[in-house]
Amino acid sequence: MTAPSATLHRSAAGVVPRGARPKTLTAGRIGLIVFLAVSAAYVLTPLYVMVVTSLKTMEEIRLGAIFALPAAPTVEPWIAAWSTACTGLTCEGIQVGFWNSVAILVPSVVFSVLAGAINGYALAFWRPRGSNLLFAFLLLGAFIPVQVFLYPLVRISALLGVYGTLPNIVAIHVIFGLPITTLLFRNYYAGVPIELFKAARVDGAGFWRIFFQVMLPMSTPIVIVACILQVTGIWNDFILGLVFAGRENLPMTVQLNNVVNTTTGERPYNIHMAATILTAAVPLLVYFVSGRWFVRGIAAGAVKG
Amino acid sequence: MLTLARTLLSGAALAALVSTAAAEPKAEVIHWWTSGGESAAVKVFADAFTKAGGTWVDSAVAGGENARSAAINRVIGGNPPTAMQFNTGKQFDDIVAQSLVNDVEDVATEGKWRDFLPKPLLDAVTRDGKIYAIPVNVHGQNWIFTSTKAFETAGVKAPTSLDELVPALDALKAAGITPIAHGGQPWQDGIMFNALLLAKGGQDLYRRVYAEKDAEAVRSDDFRAVAELYGTLRGYVDAGSPGRNWNDATAMLIQGTGGVQFMGDWAKGEVKAAGLTPGKEVGCFIPGNDYMIGGDVFVLARTDDPDQKAAQALLARTMLSPETQVGFSLIKGSVPVRPDVDTAAFDSCGQTGLGLLKDETRQIGNPEMLSSADLVGSVRDVITEYWNSPDMTTDAFVDQFVEALEVAG
Amino acid sequence: MRPRRQIATGTIALLPVWAVVVVAYLGTIAWTVLISFTGSRTLPVYDFVGFAQYERLFGTSRWIVSIGNIATFGVLFIGCCLIIGFLLAVALDQKVRAEGALRTIYLYPYSMSFIVTGLVWQWIMNPELGLQRSLRDAGFESFTFDWAVNRDMAIYAVAVAGIWQASGLVMAILLAGLRGIDQDLWKATKVDGIPTWRVYLSIVLPLLKPMIVTAVVLLSVAVVKAYDLVVALTRGGPGIASEVPAKFVMDNLFERSNIGLATAASTVMLVTVLTALVPWLYAEYFRGAKGHG
Repeated sequence: MTAPSATLHRSAAGVVPRGARPKTLTAGRIGLIVFLAVSAAYVLTPLYVMVVTSLKTMEEIRLGAIFALPAAPTVEPWIAAWSTACTGLTCEGIQVGFWNSVAILVPSVVFSVLAGAINGYALAFWRPRGSNLLFAFLLLGAFIPVQVFLYPLVRISALLGVYGTLPNIVAIHVIFGLPITTLLFRNYYAGVPIELFKAARVDGAGFWRIFFQVMLPMSTPIVIVACILQVTGIWNDFILGLVFAGRENLPMTVQLNNVVNTTTGERPYNIHMAATILTAAVPLLVYFVSGRWFVRGIAAGAVKG
Repeated sequence: MLTLARTLLSGAALAALVSTAAAEPKAEVIHWWTSGGESAAVKVFADAFTKAGGTWVDSAVAGGENARSAAINRVIGGNPPTAMQFNTGKQFDDIVAQSLVNDVEDVATEGKWRDFLPKPLLDAVTRDGKIYAIPVNVHGQNWIFTSTKAFETAGVKAPTSLDELVPALDALKAAGITPIAHGGQPWQDGIMFNALLLAKGGQDLYRRVYAEKDAEAVRSDDFRAVAELYGTLRGYVDAGSPGRNWNDATAMLIQGTGGVQFMGDWAKGEVKAAGLTPGKEVGCFIPGNDYMIGGDVFVLARTDDPDQKAAQALLARTMLSPETQVGFSLIKGSVPVRPDVDTAAFDSCGQTGLGLLKDETRQIGNPEMLSSADLVGSVRDVITEYWNSPDMTTDAFVDQFVEALEVAG
Repeated sequence: MRPRRQIATGTIALLPVWAVVVVAYLGTIAWTVLISFTGSRTLPVYDFVGFAQYERLFGTSRWIVSIGNIATFGVLFIGCCLIIGFLLAVALDQKVRAEGALRTIYLYPYSMSFIVTGLVWQWIMNPELGLQRSLRDAGFESFTFDWAVNRDMAIYAVAVAGIWQASGLVMAILLAGLRGIDQDLWKATKVDGIPTWRVYLSIVLPLLKPMIVTAVVLLSVAVVKAYDLVVALTRGGPGIASEVPAKFVMDNLFERSNIGLATAASTVMLVTVLTALVPWLYAEYFRGAKGHG
């Protein structure tokens, strides 16, 4: 059987002229750059406001000039947000729970993405009896606000004797991640030429071998997307972690919420901004690093060979 | 995958068993006091509890609904905290009804709570003759704060009563200052309306509306007069008001760009955070005759464990001790639940509040204390819609208000 | 024979999912529907009240406003995210230098908690603080941008912030799709001299269909669950002008201790989703069970 050359990098395909890619600056190329720049500006404006606000003193913020650069920039809010802000009795900022978040994040993402990939593959290529119904139920479940699930899932968890433990919260994240990861992989595999699958079958490969040797290696872009979605969702989750993780495993977002959310207490906006940007650092890092693998998945001619 | 999960689960269950063996009076307390000032205030409780020989385990979760949800789910999940915060009122009715909490009757009798608790507060923590919650503070919710700077700029005296309010607002408007610094969020729209209802409509009308759900009271001319006054005030807010946080409105008073604000006494915290003195740079008065009070309570989760019960009793005793009461409220911006304490350290707004607490005829609970969360929420929807719809008639408002009272439990 | 055995493997591989679906999803859905016929408040109780919660629901003007808003928001949000996301994906697929940095920039809004970014949007859209004031100060005195505080426009303001947050995600999904397209396509169309825009419109777009479907489903889920966004930006206001169904559910579930009404609202949302989903699922997946294509 012909193993697909898993990741044919774009530069490797450089000999093949693709799309609009003129060598000189044409009107189209300028338009493209302008479009990218304008979009970037739109997207970055709120971040700009957050960053300048996080560097101001509260006196300056009360003046209400949100776009103005800080008159006397200070990093105090960042230090406070990370390590000294008080939230109840603890005055250790949002760093509390960072490692808890990591401990929840890693297994939750790995299991939910892997499970989604297997489901999507089974649904797209094997289609066992009832699989469409299964998919429909999964999709339907994705539309219910998770908060509605809280009470029954707490009861089930307590019944199983796992309530308030790390495995509990991981299982909950995997359950809520299933619809989306399954959908992603199922639809991605729907775009994979069926001949690839048939050729592997002819070569005598079974369910798991086709999955691990043929399908998974060509799924890099969608694995990245699934990871982006799951990392963000799980990292930023607040209510599930609060309810299911147990006191010892509370994620960082509980602290973030404690720092930024108050009804009748005072609101140091500079610290709020810094805390939010700091908490987002992990997903941001994942977005940035993932770019390296965000490459072409299906190699030209893999099927014909 | 399943086997793996099972292995993981059993390991964790074992770990949980090992870690639960404890013997000292240890209290895990869930509360939502997480901002800087609130944290300092809760530390007063924790320190007092530690001094009395206990160990305070702090579980802070910001946002009342988040904290309550976490607490209730832990009770359901069989892993309850020792004590959990609620707002004074009916929020804990259902968990009392389902026998999920312990009463505080023993400590209350021993400490003679019934002798000093203000009546509205005592009613709010009593179910079937037993006290089921520890009331820890009183927040006044019908204050009007005034910006000394704004009124100086406008060249008029800051108002000190409801009658002086509208003329003062007109003067501010003429001087180009935003007369009412209003945070246009539903709950703040409600604070303003309820303050006016109590001030202009009087205690009786207010009680008939919220405690008795009396449709006739809502249809009365007095109520309509309140609604019309409230409607008139729309003309005194700025265009940036909708969605504004209350503390940003307070900041307008501090800057002198806004004249008055309808808010609870926690607004003093923002004034203090800016290095100013409540009663001086930012003045305060209660419109009308009566003081509308709310506050916070702690409810004790049901347990038969003697260690836990001891911790619960100790918690109730320390939280209500005179020194703790003063220490806590000074920082929190509230006033103590007991009048028999040293009040010298309170600012002039706090003194006013303490004075009103001593007069039983001039105090009444906030809507949350008199009626269900459902009713308060439904009514608030109507109030905020009215406030934001200048074209809505008083008749339509009254009709919808009555409907909300009828439909909500 | 092998195929039969292999299909069995497929079935076995899906067993854990079946377990999750039956217990966690179907079980919870059934429970939700059941509770919606009770008078439950803070905690579920089984005192059945018939359709009382539903009657109340549809007699509540806030719920009616919420339904109208979710429709407006949904159409705008999904439409704009798809268009912007597709254009960004195509643009990034043109051998752009610094693709990695740009992709991160477009994606970053998705990573941040809306509790605070919502506040920033609130400032930007506040006429006395944000864009309007800045541009007026700069000399454009008739410039007006007051969506967030304008009853008629507030839901559009929510959409603007939502699009800001989710467009990057659509871009990532469609970019993954573009990267999955056979390289030979470009060779062939080049030889045939077909203009690039036509290739995108007539060939690439249909090839991306599964990915677009994925994006639409994800965006629809976001629409139905839209909550944080609204709370942070407008709190449903001014008045009740930008209320949405998920916020109605959440307020009643927690703040108002009214589980009965909250589950009734969830059930209505679920039935609505179901009626939209079933014909599409049927056409897409069931007919002839030709899941692949």
